[in-house]
Parts: sequence; structure tokens; C-alpha cells
Amino acid sequence: MTARTGEVGHFEPPPAARESLQGHYAGFASRFAAFAVDLVVLTGIFILALATINFTANVLVGKDVHFNRGNVWVIVAYAVWAFIYFAHFWGLNGKTAGGALFGVQVVTNDGADVSGRQAIARALAFPLSFLILGLGFLGILWGDRRRALHDVIAGTVVIYSWDARTARLRFLSRSPYSAPPEPRGNGRRA
Amino acid sequence: MKQGRLKRTAKGHTLCVDPLAPLRTKRGRLASSAEAMAQAIAERVIGQVVGALDLNALLAEIDLNAVLETIDINQVLRQVDLNSLMDRIDIDAILNRADVNGLLDRVDVNRLLATVDINRLLSSVDIAALIGRVDVNQIVRQIDANEVIDKVDLNAVIGRVDINAIVQRVDVDALVEQTDLGSVIAKSSSGVASDVLDAVRSRTVGVDEFIARFVALLRRRPYIGPPGPPAGLRVGAAS
Repeated sequence: MTARTGEVGHFEPPPAARESLQGHYAGFASRFAAFAVDLVVLTGIFILALATINFTANVLVGKDVHFNRGNVWVIVAYAVWAFIYFAHFWGLNGKTAGGALFGVQVVTNDGADVSGRQAIARALAFPLSFLILGLGFLGILWGDRRRALHDVIAGTVVIYSWDARTARLRFLSRSPYSAPPEPRGNGRRA
Repeated sequence: MKQGRLKRTAKGHTLCVDPLAPLRTKRGRLASSAEAMAQAIAERVIGQVVGALDLNALLAEIDLNAVLETIDINQVLRQVDLNSLMDRIDIDAILNRADVNGLLDRVDVNRLLATVDINRLLSSVDIAALIGRVDVNQIVRQIDANEVIDKVDLNAVIGRVDINAIVQRVDVDALVEQTDLGSVIAKSSSGVASDVLDAVRSRTVGVDEFIARFVALLRRRPYIGPPGPPAGLRVGAAS
């Protein structure tokens, strides 16, 4: 990120913003970054929920409820929560929190909105891509349509949904970028 | 003797018609009195005949179009200094007096135009000076604009305009830079947050492209950019 303070030199818009990639198949880095953000968000919410349960039990019963990562029920609850999180957002508009942040969206093979059934299938098939030593994600790197295993199973693809052209217009509209200061002739006056 | 009397008689008769007849000469000698008498008679007869003619009726009998066809108008126009001719004409006064519609009804314009070399004609006319002398406001006042517009098929005119080509010629970036549109867009967004988001997305897409190029290198295939979009996708609706 570029800091904008005081005198601003000549800026070039980000290369990717020169061309709108909206609708093209999203690449590995964008999808991985979106997933990482989702992981942080859903884990944060899960920990917050556990803390709330602990606090409530302490207030009502007077006992602390200790959750540790080895507890099977905690793992199951976390898995169920992750399934609900992903299935809900993919079925809602194809975007999770991470997807919205990085501008990627899940759509069907022909570009339509994902149905609830497809969202559930994708959320169920998602762990498979991990369970086979991550080989399920190789399709994002090697495939012509950048589809992972769970995409193939659910009949979905992931596309860029952010409009780089609008971003560029925003970029141009910033006065320090759009109108670089005129050279002053080394301080001499005409 | 008889011949001398005839001369005197003729001389006396001619003197009644043309007192100057004796003074006319032919090749350095006096003209014969009979010849002089015939000439004097012819002059008077022609004058009376012409006076008795109805020229309007005669002109009505003439096919003007046929006459015009026999004239080389281009040749005539070449010999005329149109600019000086135009300078001598009070065009406004003519336009005020002329019933242009009636005049045009009587002229076979197509036939007339077919005989005129328009390019040569226009090249010899100082159009700027001509237009400068025309009171355009007065002409415009005489035109019923509504009637003219009614005759125009606007759909056909618009149908001939390639709007896409016009839009393609618009430099949107320059437009944004030179107008307040950019500031409107900037105000409609959340400012710094949007900048950060655009930058993060842009960098991530850059990494996507880098990885894709690297993989293409490993596969020994040329990389021609990100694939897609899927068929049937409405790109505008994807955002």
C-alpha cells in the first residue's frame, strides 16, 4: 500500500487495475487468501461463541466450562460450524467474507448463481481436497478453468467479481494521482 | 432620253422616302437608286412587321427546355465572372420578391442539373462572400421548422449513426480526470478503505498472474492471460 502524505510523486495505477478481470477464473493466490481470511473469521467467531458459553455457564451455574482442542465435541462443533459458514454464504450469494474481501465469487459452471444444493455439495466436498494431501487443489494451478476437486464435484467455478475498471476510475479520481504537479522550473520565476 | 427621265423619276420618288439616299455610295460611286429604294422599303416593312408581332405568343410557342439543351451552359459559365455578377445582384431583394416554390414547380430541376458541371460552378463561386451577403435570419424565419422536422425520419437518421463507434472514441479516463465525475465516484466510495481494498485485490491478482506464468513455464505452454469468463456469465452482475 502506498502512503499518501504531502508531496506525491508520479504514480502508476496497479497493473491489474489497468484491465478488468471481472468474470475471469480466479487464481490460486486470491482463493487461498480468501480462504485464509474465512478461516480467521470462522475460527474467531467459534472461539467467541465458546467464550460466550463459558461466560454464561459461569454466571448461571458458577462453574467454568473448559474447552480444549483435543475434545472431540469441540472438533465436531467446529467442523459443523465451518460447514454452515461456507454452505450458507456460498448459497447466499457465492461470496464468503474472505471472498468478498478479495473479490472472488463462486458461481456455477455456466456462470449462474450457486443453488443451495450445490453450496451444500461444495461444502461437503471441500475437505476432500485436503484429505488427499492437498492434491485436490492442483486443479487450480493446472486446470484450464482453475477448478479444484470440490469445484468439479459441485459443478462450480470461482471467478473474480471485483470490477478493476471501477477501481481504476476511483484511482484516477484521486487528485494527487490524476494531476501530477507541474514542474516549477527549479524555483525560478519567468 | 428615256433612261434619263427614269433616273429623275426614281430619284424624285426616293427623295420622298429617304432624303439621304442620293448621298449613299457603293464602292466609291453613287448607289443605284433602285437599290436604295429597296433598302428603305425593307427597313420600314421590317419595323412594321416586328411592331405587329405578339412576342409573348411567339415565346410561348418555343420549347425552352429544348433550347437549353442546345446551349453549352458550361461554356457560357466559363465566360462569366460569377463573382462580379453576384456583387451586382441584391440577393435579398430577389429572394423577397421571388415565389421560389412557384418557380421551382415550373423548372425541370433534374434535367437542368444534369447539364451543369456543379464542381466547376462551385469552384468559381466565392461561397464565403455569398453567404456573408445572405440574411440567414430572414431565411430561417420563412422556414417552418416543424414542417421540415416532420419530413425527417429521425429513426432512419439515428439508425445510420454508429453509437458504439462514437462511444469508443470517448476517452473515459480523460473525461473522469477533467470533470467532477471522478470526485462523485470518490465520494460515493468509502475513501481510504476502498483504496486499501483495491490495492490488496490488485496485488493478489498480480500474485495470481505470477503463479500462472510460472506454472505455464513449467508446462512449457505460452500464458495468454487468465482464462474465462464462463459462458453465460453476466459480467456486470458479478460484482
